[in-house]
Amino acid sequence: MSQQEQVANAVPAYPGLFTEAQDGVHLMSARCGDCGTHFFPKNHQQHRPGCSRGPVDEVLLHRKGTLASFTTLHYMPPKPFKTEKDITPFPMGMVEFPEGIQVVGIITDCSQDDLKMGMEMETVAYTLYRNEDGQSVQTWGFRPVK
Amino acid sequence: MRDVAIVGVGMHPWGKFEGKNFIDLGVDAVAKALADAGMKWEEIQTICSGIFIWGGNAGHLSGQYIASVFGETGVPIVNVYAACATGSSAMRTAYMSIASGQVDVALCLGVDMSPKGVLTAKSDNPQQDMDVLRWRMVGMSNPPYWALECKKRMEKYGTTEQDLADVKVLLSKYGSQNPNARYKKLYTRDEVLDSVMVCDPLRLYEICATSDGAAALILCASDKAKEYASKPVKVAATTIGSSIYGDPTLRISALSAPAKAEAPLLSESYSASRQAYEMAGIGPEDVDILELPDNSSWHYLQYLETCGFCGEGEAEKMLAKGDTEIGGKVAVCPSGGFSSFGEAIGAQAIWQVAEVVTQLRGQCGSRQVENARVGMAQTYGLMGNSGTTILEV
Repeated sequence: MSQQEQVANAVPAYPGLFTEAQDGVHLMSARCGDCGTHFFPKNHQQHRPGCSRGPVDEVLLHRKGTLASFTTLHYMPPKPFKTEKDITPFPMGMVEFPEGIQVVGIITDCSQDDLKMGMEMETVAYTLYRNEDGQSVQTWGFRPVK
Repeated sequence: MRDVAIVGVGMHPWGKFEGKNFIDLGVDAVAKALADAGMKWEEIQTICSGIFIWGGNAGHLSGQYIASVFGETGVPIVNVYAACATGSSAMRTAYMSIASGQVDVALCLGVDMSPKGVLTAKSDNPQQDMDVLRWRMVGMSNPPYWALECKKRMEKYGTTEQDLADVKVLLSKYGSQNPNARYKKLYTRDEVLDSVMVCDPLRLYEICATSDGAAALILCASDKAKEYASKPVKVAATTIGSSIYGDPTLRISALSAPAKAEAPLLSESYSASRQAYEMAGIGPEDVDILELPDNSSWHYLQYLETCGFCGEGEAEKMLAKGDTEIGGKVAVCPSGGFSSFGEAIGAQAIWQVAEVVTQLRGQCGSRQVENARVGMAQTYGLMGNSGTTILEV
């Protein structure tokens, strides 16, 4: 294997938030075994009062959920947000997962006019920019299920 | 606990003041508050100051830097931060110092000079500062948080773009009559609807700007208040609220929220306002003036419900009927609100209280709320911070 091939072609902009499984990209959550609450990010614990706070197990959220709200951003977010080029206007939204948690993310692979409240969405990896090693630096995103 | 009154208010006008520093603005507000109370600096027995987060070490010790200008006297100085509810924390700390009997006179102040452009992350260290993730991973500045909630509201209650614009129209009417406001232009509905879309459905004129400003209050034990003020304003309640588990609001800084509501939207503000009603022994129906945190038109509508001034989904009706105007059921933001002033993080909660005091004293001229007896100031800060102050004459 050449040196170059050993470098993964994609890296997350920050680790521990999403991962690629056999069936596609999932958000990395954690679930409290006592109060049953799901957390995202997994280390942002928000237990129910009276909970014994554990055990907390790392779990992946379902790949798919429904669109709970969306907006279109018409200005480029400031640093530390970084993309290859100006991507405005771009949609972002909240997706409600079967686990009972809504997560926010950039929406991709569709026109803003395609979006409707309650529609089925799936989790994907979204490339923000390429780093000096030519790797795609990625975050999570959502797109309508075709 | 003993009664506490406000005997002095002072504010530096809101705007952008490049070339000045936060100490200049803070000193101006404090000097005006002292003059208003006819009080000497040496009479201040404790200082509760809002932290100015963009000012480094000096800003985090804002109370010390401002006090040294007037002459250091060794009194307790407490600097507090609670995001946009910073001033509420300063206010409650000052109040408690007097109510507990520890001191008779307290100075409460807040100053802010916002950096240019959209606010952004304060560190680049996601391991410690989880707030960085929303910026780096999603590009979430504050307005999308509000837009996402606003969109839900539109879907649920049929709020229209006209409703959102009408909030700005009304607030601009009051701001245009307030000498301390940054924006004094009167807007029509069409002008607002023609303004640039920032974050669908919120337009440029429906989102508050970030401003520089400073405000100061002098609190005093009620039994000594007459020595300083002909018309002391009683602090009937001043509270801090934090979030309640199961609140479905996508809270600024967070990347997720529970899908199933087990607590009210904006539960931190629900909590602060209900604590205040209990402490003051009144309800929203008794309030003549409400300064609410109108960071966007959505906030204006939502806060009427969060604070119990109407039922869920009824705020648009209140606005359309004129219930929130001066002369209506409750005068909402007769100052012109954040819409006319802009946010000045560490200062705005104290400014809101100063505006209510000025109204209750009857000093507001053309935008005076007639026969106002009870006023309320409500704040909203990121990650579950809120405060409510109820004042009476």
